[in-house]
Amino acid sequence: MSYFEECLRLGEWLSEADRRALYRYLLESNKENYKAQANLLLENSSLNRRIANGEVIYTLQSNQVTYKARKIGSVEFSSEMRKMQLMGIQLIDTQRLRKFFAQSDVDVIQNFPLPGENQESEGGICVDTYPYYTLAYYANGGNPIKGIIKKLRTNDKDILTKLRTL
Amino acid sequence: MPITISKSILLAPKVPSIAVVGLMLAQFVIFNIVNNPEPTCTLKVERPHHFTSIKERQGIDAIKLNITSECTAPQEYTVITAQIQMLENNREITVSNFISRKAAAISKSSGKAVFKNLFTKCEFGDESSYRGSAKGYVRIKGGKEIRVEGNSGKYEAENCVIGAQ
Repeated sequence: MSYFEECLRLGEWLSEADRRALYRYLLESNKENYKAQANLLLENSSLNRRIANGEVIYTLQSNQVTYKARKIGSVEFSSEMRKMQLMGIQLIDTQRLRKFFAQSDVDVIQNFPLPGENQESEGGICVDTYPYYTLAYYANGGNPIKGIIKKLRTNDKDILTKLRTL
Repeated sequence: MPITISKSILLAPKVPSIAVVGLMLAQFVIFNIVNNPEPTCTLKVERPHHFTSIKERQGIDAIKLNITSECTAPQEYTVITAQIQMLENNREITVSNFISRKAAAISKSSGKAVFKNLFTKCEFGDESSYRGSAKGYVRIKGGKEIRVEGNSGKYEAENCVIGAQ
């Protein structure tokens, strides 16, 4: 089993560093796939995707993309989990949607992991408040300057290497 | 001689009608306050503890913080920032400053939200005393925001040391 496959089973055992590294890994390894799906979403205004044990539905309305998720086999989708404003310029929007997809994949992986040895505890969906592609994440919602410094200091190289190679 | 009472005296109300309306309004307001009190929320921060299941599954030593928010009315979600403090030479130092987390209510009509993934690696062996704290806000169904804050109380010892951040 690769380290990525292991991550799909870790759920709430994923640390902050694991989640950030996973986001970067998904962004680079799914580049073409995300691009094709972004184009589909821009064309059809709606898209369904699956990752780990979760299912995601994206909706595009008035240049704003949102997503909801549920465990595969569940009846009810969550309420809106995140949203992102698009610009209406396809090239830029495709780039932004790639980040949105990687973010939602990490959100879903930590909440709906593949069945494994780790037992899931009771609770609803729990995610990082700020998406990884914003400075607000690194600044914890505070000063963006602080966010830049923290981002430069953040080093998830070891986990990223593990994801790429193992 | 028969006593005659003027008709206008009998029909005239002893309490002015404006006072009656006022009393009825006051009763209505009091009734609503008693029966629909403002929702309240509490943040329950458990004491940081050695995360044994991650040790068993992944061989990692970590200190875990369990936090739940509970409200008297259904909530949409809770947003918090949490910390773990450690006692070192009788001084409080923050050893874990978690990234802000957002937890949705456990079901659509629930007042409870549970926080997951709040743990930080530690080195097993030596003993250290920890306390957890968190603050944030709860978004109640309907849009109201209530600020919440809590901590786990006194410092408690664990056999694992978190390096300072």
